Amino acid sequence: MVLAALKGVGFTYAYAEHPALVDVDLQLEEGLLHGIVGLNSSGKTTLCSLIRGVIPHFHQGDLTGEVTILGRPLLEWDAAELSRTIGCVFDNPFTQISGIRDSVFEEIAIGLENLGVPRTDMIDRVERVVEQLGIEAIVEKNPNELSGGQRQKVAFASIVAMDAPVVVIDEPTSQLDPEASEAVFEIIDGLKAQGKSIVLAEHKIDLLAQYADTVTVMHAGTVVMSGPTRDVVGSDEFGSYGVVAPEVTELGRRLAAAGRPLDRLPITRGEAFDEISARMRSTHAH
Amino acid sequence: MTSTLAAVAARYRRPMTLGNAVLDIHPTAMVAGITALIVVGLVSAGWVAPLVVSVLFVVIAFLAGRGRSYLGTILKLWLAVGLILFVLRALLVKGQTVLVPLGPIAITREGIQDGLRFSIAVMAICGGVTLFFAIVSMRRLMLALERIGVSPRVSYVILASFQAITDLGATARVVLDAQKARGIEAEGNVFVRARAFFPVLAPVFLTAMSATEERAIALDARAFNNPGRHTSLLDLKTWTGVDTALVAVAAAMVAAAVAGGVLGWF
Repeated sequence: MVLAALKGVGFTYAYAEHPALVDVDLQLEEGLLHGIVGLNSSGKTTLCSLIRGVIPHFHQGDLTGEVTILGRPLLEWDAAELSRTIGCVFDNPFTQISGIRDSVFEEIAIGLENLGVPRTDMIDRVERVVEQLGIEAIVEKNPNELSGGQRQKVAFASIVAMDAPVVVIDEPTSQLDPEASEAVFEIIDGLKAQGKSIVLAEHKIDLLAQYADTVTVMHAGTVVMSGPTRDVVGSDEFGSYGVVAPEVTELGRRLAAAGRPLDRLPITRGEAFDEISARMRSTHAH
Repeated sequence: MTSTLAAVAARYRRPMTLGNAVLDIHPTAMVAGITALIVVGLVSAGWVAPLVVSVLFVVIAFLAGRGRSYLGTILKLWLAVGLILFVLRALLVKGQTVLVPLGPIAITREGIQDGLRFSIAVMAICGGVTLFFAIVSMRRLMLALERIGVSPRVSYVILASFQAITDLGATARVVLDAQKARGIEAEGNVFVRARAFFPVLAPVFLTAMSATEERAIALDARAFNNPGRHTSLLDLKTWTGVDTALVAVAAAMVAAAVAGGVLGWF
């Protein structure tokens, strides 16, 4: 089934002078990890809000075109149904905390309480998610006293615990160090392995290239490229929208420019390792 | 699983306890008890009853293990509010027995009696409210109210309102620090502080308003609008005989105080 289908979609926030989305055509399949990249103000967050149904249920504005989520027009979904079906984590960690719970453990359980999950199951699920995200050390802390990065992890943990079939995540690693970012991507990969559909807006292109099945490039409110990760990230057009290609892809391009191209342009560190190892082996053999 | 996480999870599996017999009284029974004491203090005519009630509040706070902080707060309130109320009433209430003539006004025996009665009654109310916040966990109280049918939305609004006070204070400090970093003088006498503080109010409230919308969306993401039955991670201790006895005593005290007031016992 198609996760999200957008045809000729435009959106202008109420009181805004310029549209945030312009004539967007996009189709995202279920069960995959879809990366969304683009410069600041390119429309990534608005696209995430639309797929999650925050637009038009919360953010008012002028919405045009057709949006279908899991086969149903977006306007036919009600807010409660969307919250059960599509989990979402937004980019500002300081507003992702409820503000009414005394510990991180309780904070993560909020979504489960609202879903009516029995206490015993709730505690088991929170324990699992805390371990999964490696946040045992902060489990007793007051969520209102956490750093931005810690809040981001807690907000993410809360959504993971809810176990929604679709997850929309907007820059989950913006406040995290490289090690924690990698860990978050591994968890997202784990969610995909469980059959979940994920839409992930992210600036860390190296990680996105490694984990995403498809990449969509946003520029000035519209989709300018979309397709399998290799096709998009490895294309020459990719860099022309201000998005920086993965370091290993840049390395491959420079080797090609120096007259020593690799057999295949790498887009991940693993691919680069394989290509360069093969090159070194063949060099030694000669 | 780490031992800390296992211990935390095990704690949530048990009925919630705060480790003190007074604090563990059912929150609604606690509210009934404190309210009854306030009513008793107010209904009786003299200043002795509210004074006894105020002392009782201190005793309860110590029994709950919150005595020192409660006493500190209440003493400040007595000095800041009680004393001013007493002085104003003593000066302004007219009476027959003039003790100290002060030009157009005079301190009278009736003024002093009225001042004592009024200020101690007000302080009994302050004491009760302060005790309420010192020993009643709002989270537990809301949970108890949800159990008897109060909507989780109402409970959230109340809890978030209390948290908003803390959040606004924190935001104001951040904005003030930013102002200081830009060289604006924010330390010194009252006027200097006021001059630095008032311009901060607009950004503080604007920030709070913009955060409210994002927080609403974050709550929606946690299925806050789910119409089905909500459950709770915390397991409030069941209503006990002690709670029943407390409510019964509270009801009897209120009934006796009101009846006494009506029948002129005091």
